[in-house]
Amino acid sequence: MADFPMPPKERHLLASILDQLIPGSCERNIPGAGETGVADYLAHVAARRSRFDTALRRLLARASELADGIDSDAIRRLEQSMPMEFAELLTETYKGYYSRPDMRAKVGVGAHPVHPSGYEVAQESAEFMDSLVEPVRARGPFYRDPSKAGGGRDGERSG
Amino acid sequence: MASDPVDVLIVGAGASGAAIAWSLLETRMRILCLEQGDHLQDSDFPSRRDDYELARYAEFSCDPNVRKLKQDYPINSEGSCITPVNWNGVGGSTINFLGHWPRMKPSDFRTRSLDGVGEDWPLDYHDLAPFYDMNDANTGVSGLGGNPAYPDYTPPLPPIPIGKLGQTLAMGFNRLGWHWWPSDVAILSLDHDGRQRCVNAGTCDLGCAAGAKGGTNFTYWPVLENAGVELRTNARVREILVDRNTGLAKGVLYHGSDGQVHEQRAEMVVMACNGVGTPRMLLHSTSRLFPDGLANRSGLVGKNLMFHPLTGISGVFDEPMKGHEGPMACSILSQEFYESDPSRGFVRGYGLHSGRSTTPMTYALGGFGIDDPIPWGAEHREIMDNVYPYLAGLTVVTEDLPEEHNSVTLDPELTDGDGIPAPRISYRLSENTRAMLKHGEDRANEALLAAGARRILPNDSDKVWRRAGWHQMGTCRMGNDPKNSVVDGWGRSHDVKNLFIVDGSIFVTSGAVNPTATIQALALYIGDRIKTNIGNLFD
Repeated sequence: MADFPMPPKERHLLASILDQLIPGSCERNIPGAGETGVADYLAHVAARRSRFDTALRRLLARASELADGIDSDAIRRLEQSMPMEFAELLTETYKGYYSRPDMRAKVGVGAHPVHPSGYEVAQESAEFMDSLVEPVRARGPFYRDPSKAGGGRDGERSG
Repeated sequence: MASDPVDVLIVGAGASGAAIAWSLLETRMRILCLEQGDHLQDSDFPSRRDDYELARYAEFSCDPNVRKLKQDYPINSEGSCITPVNWNGVGGSTINFLGHWPRMKPSDFRTRSLDGVGEDWPLDYHDLAPFYDMNDANTGVSGLGGNPAYPDYTPPLPPIPIGKLGQTLAMGFNRLGWHWWPSDVAILSLDHDGRQRCVNAGTCDLGCAAGAKGGTNFTYWPVLENAGVELRTNARVREILVDRNTGLAKGVLYHGSDGQVHEQRAEMVVMACNGVGTPRMLLHSTSRLFPDGLANRSGLVGKNLMFHPLTGISGVFDEPMKGHEGPMACSILSQEFYESDPSRGFVRGYGLHSGRSTTPMTYALGGFGIDDPIPWGAEHREIMDNVYPYLAGLTVVTEDLPEEHNSVTLDPELTDGDGIPAPRISYRLSENTRAMLKHGEDRANEALLAAGARRILPNDSDKVWRRAGWHQMGTCRMGNDPKNSVVDGWGRSHDVKNLFIVDGSIFVTSGAVNPTATIQALALYIGDRIKTNIGNLFD
């Protein structure tokens, strides 16, 4: 399959749609999906999956007919008129956006690959854990053990 | 083409196949394991990549129908609200399982006697206890001893951190006076036996590149291969062969890595292909002696399929919970509602599992095992900025009771890449399970609020997680009565005396805990019984 052809006009239209799907936040310095170049990711997926390629082409054709430009109302109309195609676009947009390390970091998750360094999580001390489980221990055993005398009823156990 | 015969032929290199091979090592029998997948190479682990989350929706999906790798077989689950998930390769589903390691409880083995449902097992907790201990040592299990919800035992390694999220929820349970305990996990809290401790990567389902998670690719198989067990990969079994004169299994036909069909003879065949793969293979192995499938004179091969239906409740807290840091399913476990209580309106019970959070992409797409993306637009921004980082959740994991109509059969049309019929799943939730899920959701709400959640996210009570069929049990169940079970009390087929089954299909009931610790303990127990009875094994 040939790469998804993305003339500037269509790319601009797609970026506008993407910024509506995942808007940015000026306050938190987070770019929207259109600004981050998720369109490139979508073109990459479309070049490899004919079903998505078809869905994207149809959505863009429909979107270009929307007279009032791309705002949230227009996106809602797109969603209502082409629900299957829209669902595919939404899924791939989320994948494209959150597969970016910089976008992970914006929501508090490490930008790095999780191996080999992972995350530093402090080990609770034995004393702390003992104090935390103390109320549970204090209740005593409460499982049923049918192999023990009288163990067939709730809350009883011996041995 | 035929190969030299072996003493023991194990089909499947996952949790149970590895464990029984280890148990039988000391017999010095020639052991061969056929595995349809391959070893994972270090470069195969997606967690070393920047875009690691994408793999969860492609080559490292837990769903073989999404993954569609060469070694995978498709599963028709259109007739089920839950679809089976797995991994095919050395390590089996311990490659992508989450390492949660609770044991079953004494009452789980006697549900008929205690609660009038299911069936009693032909063995009990105390029969398995030494094998749980043995397997915990081999696997490297971390946890805190003295859990009052069990007979006394202590995991070999100290617990992994429960983290801010676990501590917060634990205090909520304490406020309510409910049971909870740090989860037992097949994940190393300390460097152990040449393996590295957990680095809290939080992506256990993408395989553990560090080797901290106790997949049998890191635990049993290195030992087994060094000891001379032959592991033949890319070898997909097609059919189990039966000697028409003796009625014994004589070996298998399998598709090899060379694309050819081979015959492998064996004195003993051990099935370890999980609760879907094993009945599939038995049902496909028909003969004059067994026209309805091998070892199926009871008619129960493939019947009584049990999963653990799940639902999840999330609360939003005031501070970031950092739930993506640490093993994803394993923090704390409450068994307050595990045992039967007639006043609740259902029999048996469930656990409240505190998993940690998932990564941003997976959350945006609906959560682990769910295809239901969060809203787009301004609401999306609000959720990802002001909800996602502050989440802590509880998963309701319910016991599933055996029902014959829940089943694995052979699909009349769908096949794998070698033309072997695919399994077809027919499964529906019982009213008992629905009542349990509803009760669990309400209790989870209470626990989250007691822990300080400022609000609870709405949940659709009618839905269970679809990609949640990790635990596949009951489809070749154990029992003393050949009319009512497929294998006897030590995993041997009632019908074929040299055919053993060691995977989750032999479970009689499901309990409400992750089954792998029990699957492996059972495999070690069966190995022990084989060794004890070696002199008259096939009588």
